[in-house]
Amino acid sequence: MKRAREDGDHNEPPAKVCRLSKVDRLSKLPNELLIRILTFVPLPSLLLCQRLSKKFQRLAVDSELWKAAYYKNFVLPRASRIPGIRDTTATSDQLHYSSKLSKWLDDGHLVKDGRNTNWKQQYRLRHNWAQGQCAVSEIVVSERPPEPPLLVMMSHGTIFTADSISGLRAWSTTHERDLIASVAITTSTGISQLPTSMAIDTSDSGTGHERVAVGFDNGVFIVYELRKDQRAFTALFEHAPSTNGMLSALAYSSPYLLTMTEDHLLSIYVFLDIEEPSVPLDAPRLLYSLRSHTVWPPVSLSIRTAATSVTAAIAYALPTYLSGWTVGIQEMRLSLDGKLLESRLATAADQNYHTLSGQRSMSSPSTRSSSPFPSRSREPTMAHMPSNSNPTSMSYTHPYLLVAHPDNTLSLYLVKSNASSLSIGAGTRLWGHTSSVSGAHVGMRGKAVSVSRLGDELRVWDLEGGMASSANRKRSRNGELSVRVQPSKGLESSSDSADEYAKQGVGLRFALEQRFDDSAISRGWVGFDEQNVIVLREKGEGSQALVVYDFT
Amino acid sequence: MSASATPQVGEHQIVLTTSDNATLPVDREVAERSILIKNLLEDLGVDNTEAIPIPNVNEAVMKKVLEWCEHHRKDPPASQDDDSDSRKKSTDIDEWDQKFMQVDQEMLFEIILAANYLDIKALLDVGCKTVANMIKGKSPDEIRKTFNIQNDFTPEEEDQIRRENEWAEDR
Repeated sequence: MKRAREDGDHNEPPAKVCRLSKVDRLSKLPNELLIRILTFVPLPSLLLCQRLSKKFQRLAVDSELWKAAYYKNFVLPRASRIPGIRDTTATSDQLHYSSKLSKWLDDGHLVKDGRNTNWKQQYRLRHNWAQGQCAVSEIVVSERPPEPPLLVMMSHGTIFTADSISGLRAWSTTHERDLIASVAITTSTGISQLPTSMAIDTSDSGTGHERVAVGFDNGVFIVYELRKDQRAFTALFEHAPSTNGMLSALAYSSPYLLTMTEDHLLSIYVFLDIEEPSVPLDAPRLLYSLRSHTVWPPVSLSIRTAATSVTAAIAYALPTYLSGWTVGIQEMRLSLDGKLLESRLATAADQNYHTLSGQRSMSSPSTRSSSPFPSRSREPTMAHMPSNSNPTSMSYTHPYLLVAHPDNTLSLYLVKSNASSLSIGAGTRLWGHTSSVSGAHVGMRGKAVSVSRLGDELRVWDLEGGMASSANRKRSRNGELSVRVQPSKGLESSSDSADEYAKQGVGLRFALEQRFDDSAISRGWVGFDEQNVIVLREKGEGSQALVVYDFT
Repeated sequence: MSASATPQVGEHQIVLTTSDNATLPVDREVAERSILIKNLLEDLGVDNTEAIPIPNVNEAVMKKVLEWCEHHRKDPPASQDDDSDSRKKSTDIDEWDQKFMQVDQEMLFEIILAANYLDIKALLDVGCKTVANMIKGKSPDEIRKTFNIQNDFTPEEEDQIRRENEWAEDR
């Protein structure tokens, strides 16, 4: 301030001085004023400002600027889509950005006190998801295909794989993609057994250790804990073989474990000594068990814990006489001390199909030719009802139930579950893929990823709020619900790994080259966390690789 | 005008003394657009007739600022919550303010500094938006030329930043 004053005092009429002498008055402003100016500069220009000078380079990455931009671009637009705060006229004042007062919806964890969030990085991450931009790399997980097929899951930056040859392994999804730990999966008695299902603990243990349950063909299940600091797995509990047979699916939300056998016997267990964990854990108590006669694969198990009850749910495919396939959900609600409160069933409504006009034109008839019911898809009114073809994959993260079909489409259902009722809303058919969809996974906030059978087309979906809001129906009509993932062109920034990329081929181009090679088939397994998507691919020689799509 | 003379000062008027010792009589309501002056007057009491020194602003700039305050004297008072952003896009400057801001760069930055010092949030925003509009849509070279900013990057360094930000480019 003083410096500026002196200039003014000793100089002639201001207008002239300014034009004649080349004084950089802008850079002399105090930093807080420069940042205030930059808050009014649109993002593309803000990024250009980084190139002006070293001073501006520092200022233009200021966290407050990017925090506001993040809010404006990724938090506010969601407000109009989520039922409940859809009434934007009433809430628009509250939804104005304020670093202290704003509603951050589910992004609240980013603004917690004491958390040093790199907002430009967060913005970039969300931007890349929205644009489908990412870098691609591979982790080769096995040279020959294990039998039964490799199991893969991902959680909090860690990929877990289980197979009969290499046992249980954990990989980091950070840049090194290194193997964190591995353990052979034989029983304590040394009998070899085949892993058939796997689940990661979805509850927050608070210890920083990830827990994973693996189920086997002889009814055994083992709970492991991954200690990243020791780079080792510890077996916490091993359940004896069971005459009920192979465990085909698991869900784990500590202390509850839900298992399903091949012949559809569902059992929910609780580990009682969770307060004071001992190693090994005491045997869990079987809370409830039931056999289902209507369940068809694919299924998706889940456990949700609430303040007073725990809900175990199984989502499954259901054949119908006339229309092919639909979906159903069976829920068991138990009190925290293990009493069964309720067991209930719901199936997707067969009538009241939700129809959307306009979207049909997005996909030409030829893209639907792979439908097993070609005559059906020509029927105009059928375009937006959920596909009736045999589902290839099912993913249920309450309240979103996403089903993948071989006829290039996905179906989205919203599940309503409360103390008094369980119902599945009318399904919506999602267009976008141009070939058979083999895998789909939906997570929190309705973010979903789907992959085609050949593994050449990966799409990222933003399905938050379902199709109930007009904002989402409009986005659906405009084809804005999903974006096809494309590898980044800016790979040279990570120069030391550039050679590696070049050797492996990069993402889309790599995928396209292999497009007509039927030997490279994605097994339908796809998963994601905040930063990465991984897809399991099988290559010609029978080797299997995890393809990591990095959105950071 | 002299600092001690008060007769020509009206009933609802106060006197401001600028950094270059000029005295400016001004309606109290107008001066109170500045939160700094408003708080000062509250501390001094209603009967204050003494000139208020504004040591950081010279006469030319103060006159310009007061011209803005005069035009906006009936605006609703600015929200005290500096954080709440009801501030609109940078293009949204009303016509009178746009004309008002058609000054040379030195005056523009002096107004911004004065508005910041005097705590006149609305004027500060008009000033900042005006500068933001001078940045918007220009290439880095054009921006540097506009403000005489010295490029202290090597071409390699600048290219590095350009590549780091490629993710945001439209394709």
